[in-house]
Amino acid sequence: MHIPDGFLSTPVWAGMNLAAWPAAGYLAGRAQKGFEETRVPLLGVMGAFVFAAQMINFPVGVGTSGHLVGSALLAVTLGPAAAAVVMTVILGIQALIFQDGGLLALGANVFNMAVVGTLAGWLPFHFWGAGKGRKAAVFLGAFLSVVVAAALAVAELLLSGIPMPGAILGISLALFLVSAAIEGALTLAVFQALEGLNRDFIRKPVPARGGVLAAVLVAAVLLAAVGVVFASTQPDGLEKLAENVGIADRAKAYFGTPLADYETRFLESSWLRKASAGLAGLVLIYVACLLLGRMARRQRSV
Amino acid sequence: MHHVVLERWSRGDSLLHRRDARAKWVVTPLFLALVATAQPFDGPLGAAYAALLVCSLLLARLPVFQALARAALVLPFAGVFALAALLSGQPERAGELAVKAYLSALAVLLLVGTTPFIALVRGLESLGAPRFLILVSQFVYRYLFVISEQAQHMRASSACRGGFGRRNRRAALRAAAGAVSVLFARSYARAENIHRAMLARGFHGHFHPLRHGRFGSADAAYLALASALLIGLRLAMPRL
Repeated sequence: MHIPDGFLSTPVWAGMNLAAWPAAGYLAGRAQKGFEETRVPLLGVMGAFVFAAQMINFPVGVGTSGHLVGSALLAVTLGPAAAAVVMTVILGIQALIFQDGGLLALGANVFNMAVVGTLAGWLPFHFWGAGKGRKAAVFLGAFLSVVVAAALAVAELLLSGIPMPGAILGISLALFLVSAAIEGALTLAVFQALEGLNRDFIRKPVPARGGVLAAVLVAAVLLAAVGVVFASTQPDGLEKLAENVGIADRAKAYFGTPLADYETRFLESSWLRKASAGLAGLVLIYVACLLLGRMARRQRSV
Repeated sequence: MHHVVLERWSRGDSLLHRRDARAKWVVTPLFLALVATAQPFDGPLGAAYAALLVCSLLLARLPVFQALARAALVLPFAGVFALAALLSGQPERAGELAVKAYLSALAVLLLVGTTPFIALVRGLESLGAPRFLILVSQFVYRYLFVISEQAQHMRASSACRGGFGRRNRRAALRAAAGAVSVLFARSYARAENIHRAMLARGFHGHFHPLRHGRFGSADAAYLALASALLIGLRLAMPRL
């Protein structure tokens, strides 16, 4: 889901740009360290590969076909940092050349899909990729990469005050889950085919130790919870619900004059408070991802 | 392929084509930010900015109607949310979303249609973007067309042999996955060949441009004029 310009409110797009570009710069630095500088053609050509792979249609379900998004596939083949760099570049080219996603909103799109999405696609493989649960890890990674990115995008749109009735929210949530499952299945199918072709294409993850599992679970729960919390902080929906049920009138009757003044002040400030709370949540996810990345790196060097 | 259209547009010659990419990299985000922060985004301002964009398209000698149609690619996405806003009883919000998304897309199209991609990323690099990202994007753009063509050939040849679909869905899925993995392996091998060829030609991590763009007085004048016009319109409009 590429967010175009004009949809995000100023605090959201500005904040997302502030969050995304340092992260992209950091990941670029890590990718550069992981690869020799002169191996940059590999990343470029693999980026072009992702574009081209999206042209190959997979038959899924009745009469429909899907295509690969590719961030999880890149993560298990090139490594997470390099995959994030490639996805960042792809998003930039899509915004410029294909009018897919906005330029101011590029920070948000990069954060959702290239930074958090790719890391979410990598983590299961990092921890379970060596053992028996390898296939499940690949599937889960690809599934998460789509779900997490979509949840973040919806959260940002809701924070920006885009009106989304519950029905549309529900439908899009269902669509996201379906397309995430498709991405998981396709990534797994390509992963197995690649493994059959040449095992060296696949990264070799270090077997996980105890305690790490808990960290991953916490991170997953955190991500899911934050997404749900964002979705439920939608002010319009709650207010409308209250109006429909009739609580609003009754509430006014109960808390008549003494609270009237306070109420307007609360409403005035609530937008700002919600926005800042949301941004704080995003920063939390960011820090969690950074910490996990650190941990993962330390483990690999052991 | 439609992206080749933009490549052709960007090779044109006009007053706007000749301006330095850095100046355009300042003016375009400024325009986008002015549009994004305008709250409420009312009719006169929208009309003025739309007129400005159309005039710029004319000045750049780009096909105006084609550009207008291309920018409409954002409308399906914007339309869904505009519909949602309409359904929840906020018609003015719906219009605002669609108009903002459309004008922003048109502005980006003007930027890309008047600046070759290579000049665009070089401008970003001299504005301080990480060189590694810039290098990777140059490669992606260069090989985008090559690898896509290869994918198209593979699709055509698989269709000649009976196609991916029809019989057993499981077999079809495996065939498509196999095609993607073969494309992956070929891209990987191609990247290694490119790497070796570049090393043989003395590549050490940087491309040398044939022409160095200079930020001249015309570019400075364009930058000042365009910024003043955009900000002036934004400030003047609500009072009209």
